[in-house]
Amino acid sequence: MNPDLNDEQKEGIVFNIQKFSVHDGEGIRTLVFLKGCPLRCRWCSNPESQRMKPEHAFNPSRCLTAELCGRCLKVCKTGALSLKDGFILFDVRKCKQCMACTEACPAGAQTQYGSVMKIKDILDKVERDAVFFSRSGGGLTLSGGEALAQFDFALALLRAARKRALDTTIETCGYYPYEHMHEACRYLNKLIMDIKMLDPEKHKQYTGVDNALILDNFKRVVEDFPELPILVRTPVIPGVNDSDEEIMAIRNLIPRRPNIEYELLTYHRLGQPKYGYLGRGYGLDADVVADKERMRHLRELAK
Amino acid sequence: MSETLTLSPQEERIINKKVDRHGRERVYKILERNQFTIPYVDVERAKYFTESMRETEGELLTLRWAKALKNVAEKMTVWITPDQLLAGRVGKLGRYGILYPEIDGDFYREVLGNLENRDKSPFKIDPADLKTVMEEIAPYWEGKTYHEQLNKVLPAELRNVTYDDERGLKSKFVVSETSSYRSALQWVPDYEKVLKRGFIDIQNEVKERLANLDLSNSVDLWEKKPFLDAMYIVCDAIMIWAKRHADLARDMAAKESDPVRKAELEQIAETCERVPAYPARNFREAVQCQWFVQLFSRIEQKASAIISNGRMDQYLYPYYKKDIEDGTLTKAQAKELLECMWVEMAQFIDLYINPEGVEFQEGYAHWEAVTIGGQTPQGEDATNDLSYLFLESKREFPLNYPDLAARIHSRTPERFLYEVALTIKDGSGFPKLINDEEVVFLNTVKGCPVNEALDYAVSGCTETRMPNRDTYTSGCVYVNFATALEMTLYNGRMLYYGDEKIGLETGDPTTFTTWDEFYNAYKAQQINLLHKAFQQQVVVDKLRPQHFAAPLSSVLHNLCMENCLDLHTEKIPGGVDYSYFEFLGYGTIVDSLAAIKKLVFEEKKLTMQQVIDACRADFKGYEPIREMLSHAPCYGNDDPYADSIAKDVDRICQLEAIKSTKERGVHVDVRYVPITSHVPFGQVVSATPNGRHAWTALSDGSSASHGADTNGPTAVLLSNYHSKNYDLINRASRLLNLKLSPKSVAGEAGTKKIMNIIRTWCDLKLWHLQFNIVNRETLEKAQKDPANYRNLLVRIAGYSAYFCDISRSLQNDIIERTEHEDF
Repeated sequence: MNPDLNDEQKEGIVFNIQKFSVHDGEGIRTLVFLKGCPLRCRWCSNPESQRMKPEHAFNPSRCLTAELCGRCLKVCKTGALSLKDGFILFDVRKCKQCMACTEACPAGAQTQYGSVMKIKDILDKVERDAVFFSRSGGGLTLSGGEALAQFDFALALLRAARKRALDTTIETCGYYPYEHMHEACRYLNKLIMDIKMLDPEKHKQYTGVDNALILDNFKRVVEDFPELPILVRTPVIPGVNDSDEEIMAIRNLIPRRPNIEYELLTYHRLGQPKYGYLGRGYGLDADVVADKERMRHLRELAK
Repeated sequence: MSETLTLSPQEERIINKKVDRHGRERVYKILERNQFTIPYVDVERAKYFTESMRETEGELLTLRWAKALKNVAEKMTVWITPDQLLAGRVGKLGRYGILYPEIDGDFYREVLGNLENRDKSPFKIDPADLKTVMEEIAPYWEGKTYHEQLNKVLPAELRNVTYDDERGLKSKFVVSETSSYRSALQWVPDYEKVLKRGFIDIQNEVKERLANLDLSNSVDLWEKKPFLDAMYIVCDAIMIWAKRHADLARDMAAKESDPVRKAELEQIAETCERVPAYPARNFREAVQCQWFVQLFSRIEQKASAIISNGRMDQYLYPYYKKDIEDGTLTKAQAKELLECMWVEMAQFIDLYINPEGVEFQEGYAHWEAVTIGGQTPQGEDATNDLSYLFLESKREFPLNYPDLAARIHSRTPERFLYEVALTIKDGSGFPKLINDEEVVFLNTVKGCPVNEALDYAVSGCTETRMPNRDTYTSGCVYVNFATALEMTLYNGRMLYYGDEKIGLETGDPTTFTTWDEFYNAYKAQQINLLHKAFQQQVVVDKLRPQHFAAPLSSVLHNLCMENCLDLHTEKIPGGVDYSYFEFLGYGTIVDSLAAIKKLVFEEKKLTMQQVIDACRADFKGYEPIREMLSHAPCYGNDDPYADSIAKDVDRICQLEAIKSTKERGVHVDVRYVPITSHVPFGQVVSATPNGRHAWTALSDGSSASHGADTNGPTAVLLSNYHSKNYDLINRASRLLNLKLSPKSVAGEAGTKKIMNIIRTWCDLKLWHLQFNIVNRETLEKAQKDPANYRNLLVRIAGYSAYFCDISRSLQNDIIERTEHEDF
């Protein structure tokens, strides 16, 4: 079998394809979000990206109400959906992820995050914006979840994208065997990697994993790919990693080279409602809010 | 405003009250004196025009018109606005509009007395002036206006879809005529000719042509001679009128005690003694000369949306360059002169008497489009220092007039594109973009010489003109194709009009068993409306030359002079004639058809009966069905399912238009430029199978239905591209709105993104593009607190208007346009 054709036929779990992404790599890009992430950052704005399988979610703001519709209640056999005081309630513990309710819901309130897609179909979709890529220097950005969590699939996707002459970037947390990163970088025009904090204990507390592997991977990739454009990013979480010292410590870790950039991301809680849809709780207190002045100061500092 | 909201420069100015007036004291003074006053109706033009027309009955219409213009030129009050550097306006001080009773004088009885109280674009009229209208003007035009004649001659089956009452005062909003809103569509006179030659030289040419006539030949005697006499008179008229301004300036200077103003007035006098009689010698004279021609064109007739400014950065450039090199003009002075023109323009309001005409272009719309950039007649890039000056002026002094249009082509320099993007980012909607790669191609294949096609000017909303090749176009027919869809559901009827049979009886759709059967029924309804539209245009085209003449525009048009024919003549040898029809409800129809195809005929999740029941009930009690319908594939998402339907619907139009083109010898082209009329047209359309509620706005232009375009701006552009039939040429403008949040285009990177979008848009050969870069929050606040947001400009449709000047329903329409965020 032709190995390239083989790549195009491979399947993986994608939860979103987003066009006109302008902040994640060069030019106008299309972001392909893959499901699955080894980290559980408390501020994660895409909680639907974390598990490596399709999952059900309920967005009550789209619901027509049981009075006008109620179709989901009729098809739910597990009792995960129930009616109380006229409102539909969702109990994630009882949900068997059969997706019968997402089929039945006309309003998109019962939805499924993630579905299995073939690389060919993904790239056909991405390529629809090729006319914008060629003018803007844009292309495909793999994101997640963790872009490389579904490693074989992600690698095949990058390889196939390069065959189609697409510019490729990934957004990664860097938490996996170094070989994965090394292999992926062979097919990349740019690497975007997070370094969230340096204190291993704190890292574990807020992301669920130790950061030694991440920092080691970063060190090695910088050595092994001296020409590769790399963007290092730190999401600045108020009260967690936003002290001058912590940001500067990260800054000092990053070699000052023309192909390596550093960027601070402003914390936002736009992803919070999705935790509710998934029947989960949000990991940070309500009073955690980004401070414009503080961000300006830190950006100046980290120049 | 939330902490993290990124503001556009315009929002910054309004919300944080940051306005830099430095160096613009004069124009701000003029502007703020009357920027938000309710406009007045000035009746002098109508009065003196009518006075003369009364005396010349029986003569050639062009000659009568020239005489009438001369009468106006001699008698109408002449004005120099306080503090102005340019002389001339055609109505009293403050914002004003003027009357054209020859078009719609039959509306005066109903409309004029109550003009101040209408909620859309109100006007005031002085009681004495009202008396003049009712006693001196209106009685003469009774039974003679264009509108009355049109209403009279339209055959019953056309009247039936055009008007909804006996006198033709109410539109049916099915196949609407707009030819009675104006004497012709927008126009650009050949300003350059006047600047270079002056009217004395032009008049000499007339004299020579007169001398060469063979008066023993009856055509020469009865047609050409009176035509040329008219040309001679109109040259006199404009020169007399200009001279009166010179006299006025001398008078005012004599009485002026302030030495600075006295000197200014003396300079105005000197300029007005020179132009437009003689060629302009410098930038100041050129600007004044252009202004006189423009103003006199307004006296001549009501060309819709007013006369455009043409390629101003081209024809003014030699004067600018010379003066700058000589050291007789500074850049700041040039800007001040131009901005003096803008504030004067802002005071002239295009007065729509017909209450429905108002709904078609709300917000005191007028489009004196200034064209910048593009290519030279030889096909080289045309950008020059003046092109940049116009952009700079727009950023620093963002008034809603003139409308600024940038021509873009494949080799548009980066710097020009960069400054265009910067100006767009300001957020007040300027400039709109017109694509040379589409327009030049289309004009060329339609018979225009390449050099003239390359030299087109943007005119009106999104149209283009070639001042010596184009001929007049009648106000076009607006076809509400959403009614074709409705009539497919209800066997030729519309819920709004009850039992009246308006379209074809295509049968009961619940008996249809295949998609083809349904689509063929829809197609038959669409074609039926197209035929009605074309038939109506034939009547209109025949009638227009009997009612209107344009001696000034004719004397400036090479083909009119060569053939001794008025520019209103139906066909002028050598001319390229365009006729347009407006497509209303594109997105609405496509989304509805896609929903029916998918849900009823392919997936069979709904029956036709269910869809009809739900629509009849405006979805009350059928909410789940509405959700299913609105989740079907939608136009505007680069979804081939919907876009292929869109393409075919466009194709139906063009294939019929080709037949009509052959029949009439005029290019009949489909356009998607509703201005603001998708709001009133929606008011007669009941709920549609895309989930749209009854009587709400239709989708606008070639943009997606509100909220349906969820895939970002690249998908919007691509849907537009994939729904165009590039193998057919009976197409013209497609108006396309992109609303972006200021955040998504923030910083240098954001400017680059706009440039990238524009480059790709140019590659895709789409006709038009305009941006609204404003936060939804700002619009909502402006709605609640208009006093503090009076200066907020928004892009409507080929023009920008003050948000607080437009009606609530249109405000909502703009708020609901999908805002594309970055991700």
